[in-house]
Amino acid sequence: MNPIHDDVRKTLDVLHELFTSATHDASAAMCRWTDGLISVTLDEVRRTPLEEVAQTLELGDELLTMVVLTLEGEVGGNLILVFDDVNGRQLAAKLLRQPIGSTPEWSPLEMSALTETGNILGCAYVNALTRLIGTELVPSAPYFIQDFGASVLQQAMMAQAVSTDELLLCRIGFHREDEELDWHVIFVPTPAMQEAMTRSLHAAP
Amino acid sequence: MTSPTIHAPVETLVGLGQIAAGQAPKRMKAVLGSCIGLALYHPRLKTGALAHIVLPDSAGRTGPPGKFADTAVGHMIEMLRQLDTPVHGLTARLTGGANMFGGNGPIRIGEENIKAVTQSLRRASIRVVGQDVGGNCGRRIVFDCSSGQITVEKAGQPSRSL
Repeated sequence: MNPIHDDVRKTLDVLHELFTSATHDASAAMCRWTDGLISVTLDEVRRTPLEEVAQTLELGDELLTMVVLTLEGEVGGNLILVFDDVNGRQLAAKLLRQPIGSTPEWSPLEMSALTETGNILGCAYVNALTRLIGTELVPSAPYFIQDFGASVLQQAMMAQAVSTDELLLCRIGFHREDEELDWHVIFVPTPAMQEAMTRSLHAAP
Repeated sequence: MTSPTIHAPVETLVGLGQIAAGQAPKRMKAVLGSCIGLALYHPRLKTGALAHIVLPDSAGRTGPPGKFADTAVGHMIEMLRQLDTPVHGLTARLTGGANMFGGNGPIRIGEENIKAVTQSLRRASIRVVGQDVGGNCGRRIVFDCSSGQITVEKAGQPSRSL
C-alpha cells in the first residue's frame, strides 16, 4: 500500500462527503428557483494533472456560456456554471416565462436570468460550506461570460496552480426529471479552502 | 489513376505547463486565458516550439517544463537545440495574458505573466516580432511551423495572424 496514495484517497473521500452535503442544499435551492424542474448532484471530486484539466472536464476548445462566482479571500475558490448555448437560452426562457430568444445574441434579460441562476446556486453553496466548515465565505457578484471554457478555467485555477501540478476539482451535474443535462458546475477551491474543509470533517464529532 | 489523398497536418494540443517543439509542417494549438502562449521560431530552419506558460515565477520550484515564465524559455531553447536549432536567429511571438473575470484584486496574473515572459526573452536576447496579449477575452491559437505565424481567434472577432 502506498501511504501517499492512501492519504490522497482519504482526502478525496473527505471532500466528497462535504461536497455531497453542500450539493444537497444547492439542489434544494435550484429546485425552488426552477419550480421543481431542475436538480443537481455531485458527479465527482478528483485530482487531475494540470495539462489534462480541460480535456478531463470535456471543455473542449469551443465557446461556452458561463456564469462565474468567486469566493473571495484566502479560504475561497471559483464556481463556474457552464452551459451550452442552446440549453442556456432554454433555461432563461423558462425562468422568464417567454419564448426562446430568436436572435444570435443574448438579450440583457436572458443574461440576467442566467446570472441570477448562478447567484442562487453559488449562494446556496456558500451558505452550506460556511455552515459545514465554520468559516465565513464572501461571494463576489456573478459574471456572465461567453468564451472558451478552458480560458475561464485557467484563471479560476491559479491559486492552486501556484503550489501544485495536480488540481483538485469538483464537478456537479444537472438533471431535469430523469434526464441528465449538458450543464455543469465546476468548483475550484483554493488550497486554504481545501485545508479548511478537511479540518472541519476531522473535527466533527 | 486516383489522386493522392492530402492530409492536413495534425495539430498537437499544448496543455497547461507543456511545451511542444517540431519542424514544418508541424502545427501546435492551445486555448489561453491568463496563461501565455509563447512561440519561438527559426525562420530559416523552420523549426519552432510553443509553450503554454501558467505562472510568472517558479521561485525555485520545479514543475512541468512550460509552467513558469522564468524557466520555460530555457527549456524551449534546449528542446530546439536538440532539433539542431541555435538560439541565434530565433524570433518570439506572445499571446494570452488576459484577465477573464474579476480583476479588482491585488494580483492580475495575466499582466504578471506578460511582464515575466517579456523579461525572460530579453535576458535570452530573443526578439519579439509579434504579440496579441492582455484584454478580457480568451484566445484559441494555432502555431504553424511552416510559416512561424500564430493564428489567434477570439470570441466574436475575426481571427488574426501574428
